[in-house]
Amino acid sequence: MSRPTAPRRRGDHVLAGIPVAWLVVFFLAPLGFTVVYSFGVSTFGGVRLGFSFDNYRTALSGIYLKTFLATARYAVISCVLCIAAALPVAYFIARRAGRHKTLALAIVLIPYLTSFLVRVMSWQILLARGGAAEHLLNALGLHAGPLDVLDTRTAVYIGTVYAYLPIAIVPIYVVLDRVPAELFEASHDLGGSRLKTFVHVTLPMSRPGIATAVLLTAVPMLGELVIPQLLGGGKGLFMGQAISSQYLKSQNYALGSAMAVLVLAAVTAIVAILARLTKGFDEVGG
Amino acid sequence: MSVNLPSRRSALALLGAATAGTTLAACSDASAPGKTQTAGANKAGDKGTVNIYTWPDYFSSKSLKTFTKKTGISPNISTYDSSDTVFTKLNSPAGAGFDIVVPSSGWIQPLADKGLLAEIDRDKVDLSSLDPSLLDREYDPGNKYSIPKDWGMLGIVYNPDAVRHPIRTWQDFLDAGSQKGVSGKVRMSSSAWETIGISLWIDGKNWNTVGAAAIKDAAKRIKAFAPHVKTFEGFDPATLANGSVVLAQCNQAAARTAIAQNPKLKWVIPGPRSELWVDSYALPKKSHNPDAAYKFLNYELTPSVQLHETEFLGYPAALKGLRRKMPKSVKNSDLIFGGKHVDFDKLTTFVVNKKTIGVYQQQQTEIQAAAGK
Repeated sequence: MSRPTAPRRRGDHVLAGIPVAWLVVFFLAPLGFTVVYSFGVSTFGGVRLGFSFDNYRTALSGIYLKTFLATARYAVISCVLCIAAALPVAYFIARRAGRHKTLALAIVLIPYLTSFLVRVMSWQILLARGGAAEHLLNALGLHAGPLDVLDTRTAVYIGTVYAYLPIAIVPIYVVLDRVPAELFEASHDLGGSRLKTFVHVTLPMSRPGIATAVLLTAVPMLGELVIPQLLGGGKGLFMGQAISSQYLKSQNYALGSAMAVLVLAAVTAIVAILARLTKGFDEVGG
Repeated sequence: MSVNLPSRRSALALLGAATAGTTLAACSDASAPGKTQTAGANKAGDKGTVNIYTWPDYFSSKSLKTFTKKTGISPNISTYDSSDTVFTKLNSPAGAGFDIVVPSSGWIQPLADKGLLAEIDRDKVDLSSLDPSLLDREYDPGNKYSIPKDWGMLGIVYNPDAVRHPIRTWQDFLDAGSQKGVSGKVRMSSSAWETIGISLWIDGKNWNTVGAAAIKDAAKRIKAFAPHVKTFEGFDPATLANGSVVLAQCNQAAARTAIAQNPKLKWVIPGPRSELWVDSYALPKKSHNPDAAYKFLNYELTPSVQLHETEFLGYPAALKGLRRKMPKSVKNSDLIFGGKHVDFDKLTTFVVNKKTIGVYQQQQTEIQAAAGK
């Protein structure tokens, strides 16, 4: 602090201390326990503290490593699908919805306000045999006979993209909404085709929005627990399930902690990369 | 109980219609005594309440109200969605203050070994009215720590239109499941011992005494079978009604619900062995109000309450001769007890063993992964 500042009143420190204390007690302390446990030795339902890398060795080998990689793959694919679906919607709301912007945003967000579990369960009903999806596809001639998409990977992707779509749309919309219309006009005036405008103006401009959307979707997807169970029949490998099973079923807190720390490291890496990607992005408009 | 929440929940909710006109709301009646709350036990130590930690919708609100009327004690209910959660919670500071818990049979021994349960005082509660075939079993010899609340067994429900040959053994189950028209329409349990267990039984092994090598070996057979499995998640009777599942592992109460929707379905407890689970009352050591707990146990064990709870749940309470007392109005009541002739000597109860549970779980993860390929 080289700049002279106005003398602080004690009240400010107290006020600032509240969120700090909150974070320390409810975030850093549990995280500290997790890290300490991850180096310990599991006793059924307990941990003997020590310092060994055994849990990490286990967590990075065999089925656990496979689970980690499979989950990362699932998160990447779901995230890409989600952004691909969100971009056109966000673009439409920002540039074409006109005075119906608020209504369009409300339509996107209102389902998001209902319970996550209910939204996922409703896909079970839609995708089930004799459900709405089957009737629709049969009517359109895209599919004949009973539809057995429930309990497949396809259903998991459908459910995941649906569940996370609103939080992918909003950040992209916010960024695109701030881009002055003159930019698009200028691109057009300078002979840019629609595609060129998209590639050279829209996409670069929406970069921070996309980065935020990736962060908000990919991170929870890495820990996704419910959707693979409800729509995927519990098949395949998912990190969230694996960690919860170590804690609850195997009572192996040490290994569960090591797995959690590794996921956290992966998330930190994602955040760092995204922060780099959006660095130097100057606010446009104003 | 060794199925996960959705299956129990849906079984209960669907049975609601069939159980003596009891309709089960998806969430507890908040105005009733015994309000559900998910946080830890509050008012711990208050002599006017008994803190019960149990499955959702596991006591009829009518019996809870009657209990309060009789004793002035109001039950305060907290719920969990799996037996393993009970262990984790009681094993943590958050688990203090519960007076009664209802874990599944498999978790009684690990809970007792950890010193989390109090021994049952037989001078304060009488078990003589209970069915002897449910007492003194391998998971709690002499019922030192547990009293049976209700019970169920692992069996199979199948659609004879798709499954051509009658199923008598677990080997038949595996053979049928890999045939055309059945493959891809099979439901298996997400509980490690209920999948690997059938393979151990086929080889005549005891699931409580095998070591890691034998568990891995038995799991190989199930991994090979896994690609035929559609789902490991909660049993959903609707899937058997609409034909997306034609062969499923489930318990007798879930089977009864499915058969109510599709009378063609058949229920069988395959040989050579199968599972008996007993959800049991147990008394946590850190209880603040053991007297109220005993009062509640004695009330719940009275025959009229046992009968009422059985109709409400669709799972059989532990009362001796309960089957003969079932009113005629209860449809297909034999199935509540697993069918006409159940040989309890052929049923075995899994006991969670800290040496092997991790191996079981890891193998189950690999089985479910093999199904996802």
